[in-house]
Amino acid sequence: MEWRPAGIWPLVALGAALSPVVAAARVYLSVPQAQHAIFGDQVLTAFPVALTPAQQDAVRQASSVSHPFQGNRIWKAADGGWLVIDEVVGKHEMITYAVGIDADGAVRRVEVMEYQESYGQEVAEARWLRQFVGKDRQAPLRLGQDVEAISGATLSAKHLSDGVRRVLAVHALLLRGH
Amino acid sequence: MNALRRCRPALGTYVDIALDDAGDADARDALESAYGAIARVESLMSFHRADSDLGRINAARPGTTLRVDPWTAEVLALALALHAVSDGAFDCGVAARLVARGLLPASATGPCGAVGRSTLADIEPRSGARVHLRARVCLDLGGIAKGFAVDRAIEALRIRGVRDAMVNAGGDLRVLGPRPRLIHVRHPARPSELVPLGELADGAIATSGAYFSRATRADGTFDSALVDPLDGRSVTSACSFSVIAPRCAVADGLTKVLALRGRLAAPCLAHFGARGHVS
Repeated sequence: MEWRPAGIWPLVALGAALSPVVAAARVYLSVPQAQHAIFGDQVLTAFPVALTPAQQDAVRQASSVSHPFQGNRIWKAADGGWLVIDEVVGKHEMITYAVGIDADGAVRRVEVMEYQESYGQEVAEARWLRQFVGKDRQAPLRLGQDVEAISGATLSAKHLSDGVRRVLAVHALLLRGH
Repeated sequence: MNALRRCRPALGTYVDIALDDAGDADARDALESAYGAIARVESLMSFHRADSDLGRINAARPGTTLRVDPWTAEVLALALALHAVSDGAFDCGVAARLVARGLLPASATGPCGAVGRSTLADIEPRSGARVHLRARVCLDLGGIAKGFAVDRAIEALRIRGVRDAMVNAGGDLRVLGPRPRLIHVRHPARPSELVPLGELADGAIATSGAYFSRATRADGTFDSALVDPLDGRSVTSACSFSVIAPRCAVADGLTKVLALRGRLAAPCLAHFGARGHVS
C-alpha cells in the first residue's frame, strides 16, 4: 500500500488540485459500443415503438419512473434478444443505461453508458461555475477525466433498478412475441 | 495497452471497474471474472435473500451450527476481528435498530427484524467454514461485504495477469498496481464538490459519511444509518471519514470505527495497518 496524502503536497501542486471540481460525469459506452458489449457481433435491427398514453401510464405504474419512455432506442438481436437504451434521473444522478434482454425475457446485462451527478439546484450552479474551471491552467479541467476516483458514502442505485423494471415493463407490453 | 472501463449496478450501488493495463490478459474476460466475483459475494451475503448464507444465519435458531461458503466464513472472521480489536465499536448487528428508526425498510430484514439486541459476538467460527450461533442474530454485512467484494474483484483481475486496474463499488475502492491514482472525496456539506485527498497505489480506501443517509427525526434532530452498537446513538457529524488500508474490506469496516470513535480509533487502525482521514 502506498499513500501520499494531499496534505503534504507542495503548495503549488495543491493549488492546482484545489481548482473546483464540481459534479462528476463519465461516458462509459457509446451506442455502438453498448451494442457490441452486450450482443457482440450479432446483427441488430432497429425496432422503434411509440407508446400510447395508456401504455405510458402502465409503464409508469410498473416502475415508478415518472418521465415518459422514449421508444426510439430499441433494437432486436438476431438471436431473439433485445437491446433497450433509456435514461433515469435520480435525486443525485442522471444515468443513460443499456439493458440487454434474452429471447426468454431474462435480463442479460445492464451497462451504465453515461453517468452524471446532479444535485438539483447545484446543477445549474455547476454549469455556471464550469466556465471558470481551469481558466488559468494550460488546459481546461476535464470533468470525468481528471477525476479518476471518488471515495464517498455509498450512493444507492435504486433509480437504476427502477429504470430496469421500466424497461422490462416495456418489453412485456410491446416487444415480447415480436 | 489493453484498456477497458465499465460501470454496472451491483451491491445496491454503481460498480466501476477500470482496466488500464490488462497485461497479457484478455481484458473482457478479466472484466467479466471481476464482475462475476462481485455477483458471487452479493448472492452469498445479501441481506435481502432468504437463501443467501446471511439469510440462513439470520433465520437460524440459537445453538445451530451452519456450513457457509468459505468467502462468507472469511468475511465473518474479519468482522469478528474488527469487533474484537475495536472493543465492539464495529458490529454488524444494528440492522434491527435501523428498521425501528425508519432508516431501513422493515422488509429489508425479514423475520429477523424482531430480534431486539443482536451482535456479532453471538457468532462463533468453527473449522471447515462452519459457524455456530449462540443466540439469534440479525446481521447486516453491508458495512464490510462491499469492501470484500472489491477485494475479490481485484484478486480476480490480478490472477489473470492484469497489472493496472481499479475497482470502485460506490465509493469503496481498491487500486491494483504501482501507479498512484488521485483520490477525491466529496465535500461532506456539498457532496457535488470534490476535494483531493491524496494519491493511492496498491491499496484501498473507503469513506463513510452521513450525507446520503441522514434523516430528520420527528423532533427535528438528525438521525443516520451510522449507529453506535454499544449505546445506540447515531453519528450525525457533518464530516466524512475515510480509511486507507491494504484491503478494501478492512478499510470499509474501519470507517465505522473511525466515525464512531474519532481519535480513539487510532490504535485499532494501526493494528490493521490502516490510516484514517476526517474531512
